[in-house]
Amino acid sequence: MNAPLLELHEIQATILRQRPAPYFGTHVLLRVDDAQMGRAFLRRLSPYVDSATGWRIEANAWLAVGITYAGLEALGVPSDSLQSFPEAFRGGMAARARQLGDEGLNDPQLWDAPFGKGHIHIGVSAFSDSEEKHRRALAIARKQYEGFTGVSVLVMQDFGAQPGDRNSLGYKDGIDQPAIEGSGDEPLPGQGSPIKAGEFILGYPGEAGVLLPMPRPNILARNGTFVGLRKYQSRVGAFNRFLRANGRTEEDRELLAAKLVGRWRSGAPLTLAPEVQDPVLGADPRRNNDFNYANDPLGRQVPLGCHIRRMNPRDTTLTRLTDVNIHRLIRRGTTYGPPYDPNALSTEDDEVPRGSYFLFASAKAMATIEFLQQEWINDGDFIGASGERDPIIGLQKEDATFTIPKDPVRRRLHGIETFNVLRGGEYFFMPSLSGLTWIASLSD
Amino acid sequence: MATQTQSTGSKPDQAVENMVQEVRQLYADAPQLAKTALENGLPDLISQVAGARGSQTQTAGRVGIRQGKVSELTVIAPFAPGGARRLRALLRLLNGKFDADKVGTVHDMRFVFLDNDTKLLFATAYDGDWDPYIDDFATKIPDSMDILFANFEGWPGIRSPKVKDWIVKHQIPAESWYVANDLTVAETRRMTRVGKVLDEFLDKLGG
Repeated sequence: MNAPLLELHEIQATILRQRPAPYFGTHVLLRVDDAQMGRAFLRRLSPYVDSATGWRIEANAWLAVGITYAGLEALGVPSDSLQSFPEAFRGGMAARARQLGDEGLNDPQLWDAPFGKGHIHIGVSAFSDSEEKHRRALAIARKQYEGFTGVSVLVMQDFGAQPGDRNSLGYKDGIDQPAIEGSGDEPLPGQGSPIKAGEFILGYPGEAGVLLPMPRPNILARNGTFVGLRKYQSRVGAFNRFLRANGRTEEDRELLAAKLVGRWRSGAPLTLAPEVQDPVLGADPRRNNDFNYANDPLGRQVPLGCHIRRMNPRDTTLTRLTDVNIHRLIRRGTTYGPPYDPNALSTEDDEVPRGSYFLFASAKAMATIEFLQQEWINDGDFIGASGERDPIIGLQKEDATFTIPKDPVRRRLHGIETFNVLRGGEYFFMPSLSGLTWIASLSD
Repeated sequence: MATQTQSTGSKPDQAVENMVQEVRQLYADAPQLAKTALENGLPDLISQVAGARGSQTQTAGRVGIRQGKVSELTVIAPFAPGGARRLRALLRLLNGKFDADKVGTVHDMRFVFLDNDTKLLFATAYDGDWDPYIDDFATKIPDSMDILFANFEGWPGIRSPKVKDWIVKHQIPAESWYVANDLTVAETRRMTRVGKVLDEFLDKLGG
């Protein structure tokens, strides 16, 4: 069966184009106070929203636009269209706290403003590979809303610009991405066979050979996708305290950091660099993802419960029948705040505003993130790590453990804490370029 | 794993007392046999539950209920014409085991033919919530699912977007659900393995 040709000129660029390295950008979250003005704002912005075929604003800089359910409503989308969106999307992410396991430290009641109250209507992200191009792209976006009544800025969050593109816990991240059939991008070694486009973009067949459920009308839904945002606060003090409590030397601590994730912090996967880190390998996209777990069924190289093995089990034998390919996400993680500090140890350090605006996309993003949270992040039964949670984004209970399989006896670490606390989140719909025009052209 | 939606602490004694009163009142016009048995046996039954009042069931997701890690699914579905005969032959051929090992989360499966072979009661205990793995069945074991479920009226096919609605339409959430051991299938198998190894080790030690 031939893969259908993707309508690249309709699909927003950020869905298919990787995060550049280095990367710079800004997220802007807006509220629509007047439907007509909100649509006028979209009309002004639309020419600058890049499609996946090429760049409109200079090379290597682009805008992406997403709209929440509350935003679709505020913009005057008709009610039969609104009702056709999935229930999980309609309530917003805060309303899905039970399904997502967002309780305790992650409870939406504790989220940063403006998250969790239904005020976020539109999200605009500007991405770039240089500071200068970023500023220019942002200036263009700003011109469209500054002095513009009817649309208010709720949040402007710069991201990126980290030395070595490391995240707030010091790791090179965003390495593994799903290969999407028909995207025109050559799969990188280790990405596995391309997955049917319909898993990530609405209007194309998915892995079961049929279209995934789509909202109406077709012009709005086709070539669109759903995007989730989860804003994490990284508790760097707690992370460093854990490394020091369980690693006597600097080498021990780096190895422990590697065992938690499955990659050394410089990016090299443990499978290819089991004992000594290899920054050159870590920096090479043609090598740093080229591995599988065939020779490591017990997790003695890459712990079964470590972060990357949970987020993409690859060929690991799971305890339950699973099609890994239908649980993948396109990830556009963006680090914000000051860089990782290896000497941060205090609880004050835990609250320095730094972490990740974790952005993810798929044609069924809500169902996928809820699956991941329930099955692969806040539980370990699927992979033989029963009773344990993801060490990087799991919500840890009291006396939580992390097991490092070893010969002859496993090493079990006690008292692992929640290193990334959820402080906000929302679900967005990312329309095609025609979809954006359709919304912008609605009348009252 | 969904969060608990009901209280985890013990109910205050007054609430228990009220429920006991309600039960006594309802038994007031029950047959004498039942009334006598109630007076004799109720105190002991209540004492067994006293410490564990906190282990309330939770929802299993879209439909059904869950006790700890294990959920129940109870479906009553009308057979399509000829469906009962086909299913009976299939169950005999496969010894009632439909990909259960492959799925990995199924504790048990019960196929009960009702009302002169016009309906099936299908009941299973499985790990986790209702929603997560149904899409996986559609891509990994589509034929098994359709071989089994096409014997029922209105089954749209495992790949259809209407398939979850069909299940919900025929599923009846249990009123109550008790599970003896809060262990998943994977955990039970692991414990059996570990238990065997431990026994061998102790045998060696004991000489």
